[in-house]
Amino acid sequence: MIDALWIVVLGMAIVFAVLGLLLGAMTLLNKLIRPREKD
Amino acid sequence: MDIAAGEFLGFLNLNWQLATMLVVGGILIYLGIAKDVEPVLLIPIGTGIILANIPLGGLVDEGGIFAILRQAGIDTELFPLLIFVGIGAMIDFGPFLERPYTVLLGAAAQFGIFGTFFLVYLLGDGWLHLLDFSLIDAASIGIIGSADGPTSIYVSTVLGSKYAAAIVVAAYSYMAMVPIIQPPIMRLLTTKEERNVKMPIKATAVSQRTKIIFPIVTVLIVGLMAPKATPLIGFLMFGNLLRECGVVERLSMAAQNELANIVTILLGITVGGMMIASEFLKLETIMIFIMGIVAFALGTAAGVILGKIMYLASRRKINPLIGAAGISAFPMSARVVQREGLKADPQNHLLMHAAGANTAGQIASVVAGGAMLMLIPLFG
Repeated sequence: MIDALWIVVLGMAIVFAVLGLLLGAMTLLNKLIRPREKD
Repeated sequence: MDIAAGEFLGFLNLNWQLATMLVVGGILIYLGIAKDVEPVLLIPIGTGIILANIPLGGLVDEGGIFAILRQAGIDTELFPLLIFVGIGAMIDFGPFLERPYTVLLGAAAQFGIFGTFFLVYLLGDGWLHLLDFSLIDAASIGIIGSADGPTSIYVSTVLGSKYAAAIVVAAYSYMAMVPIIQPPIMRLLTTKEERNVKMPIKATAVSQRTKIIFPIVTVLIVGLMAPKATPLIGFLMFGNLLRECGVVERLSMAAQNELANIVTILLGITVGGMMIASEFLKLETIMIFIMGIVAFALGTAAGVILGKIMYLASRRKINPLIGAAGISAFPMSARVVQREGLKADPQNHLLMHAAGANTAGQIASVVAGGAMLMLIPLFG
C-alpha cells in the first residue's frame, strides 16, 4: 500500500514537473516570438 | 452423417451470457443511432460485440478476423498511435498557447488517474483483496481517468493487464458520459459567485511560428523527462506539426480524415470484438465500469479545486469551472464548462479558456500515462 502511495505522489510530481517545464518554455517562446502582421 | 445439430446451428449454442452481450451490443448501436451518443465509436463497438458473441461465428478464435485485428492493431499498440496522429492533426493548441497557465489545470485533473489507481489497488491486492486487481490492473484501470481512449489502450496493453478489453470499452463509453458525470461535481464544488466570474474572450495573440515550434518543444520536453510517453506524445505532436507547418495540407487533411476514420473503424470494431461474454461478464468488469466513473469524477474535482486556488490567487479573475476541462475528454468537457458558465450567467463565455485546459489535459494525460509506465515496473 505504501508503494501505491509513492506511485501516486511521484506520478503527480512527474506530471506537474513536465507540464511546469512546458509552461515555462511556452511562456518564454511567446515572449521571444511576437506575432507578425500576417499571423 | 454423424454431426450433431449443435455443431453448426448457432442458436443451439446460445446461452444467457452470449445473449446478454448481444443485447449490450444492440444497446450501444441504439444509443449511437437513436440518441446520437458518440455514434462514431459506439456503432463500431456495438457491431463488434454482436459479431464476437454470435455462437460458432469464429471471429475471435485463433485465425479469426478479430483475433488478427487485435494482434495487429491493439497488441502492437499500432491503432492507438495512428489515431493519435489524427487527433494531433485535429487539435488546435492555440487556446492553450494563448493561455499557457491552463496547463496546470490539465496537470491537476490527472489526479483522476492516480487517485483511482490507489482506490482500485486498495480493493484488490493492496489491502482488502475483495477483487482480483493486481498493481498492473490498478494502474491500467486508473488510466481510464485520462479520458483518452488511445492512451488507455496503450498503457493497459503495454502493462499487460488482463482487463485491457473492459478498460478500453469503459474509457470509450465514458467519453460520451462526460456531460452527465461532470456538471454535478462542478456545481457541488463551486459557489454561484465563482461560477459567475467572467473571463476575457480575447487573449494574447500567438505567432504561427510558435504554433510550429510548440509540437517540437513538447516532444523534446516530454520525451526527455518521461521517455515512456514518447510514442504517444511523438505521434500526437507529429499530427499537430502536419497541421501547423502549413506546407503539407494534403497530409494534414489525410491524417484528420482518411487515417483517423479508417483507424477509428478498425479500432472500434476490434474493441467491440474484445468484449467476449466469458471474459466480460464478471464482478471485476462491473467494478472497472464503476471505477471509471470514480476516475472521471476525481479528475473533474481535482481540476475544479485547482481552479478555485487559481481563482483566489488571481483575485477572482479565473473562473474555477474551467478546471473541469483539464480532463482530456476533448472537446466534450470544454463544451460542458461553456454550458455551465452560460447557466450561471448567459453572458459568461468560457469556451476558449476551457479549450485551453482541455488541450493541455490531452498532453497531461499522455504524460500521466508515461509516468505510470515508468513507475509500475519500479514498484511492481
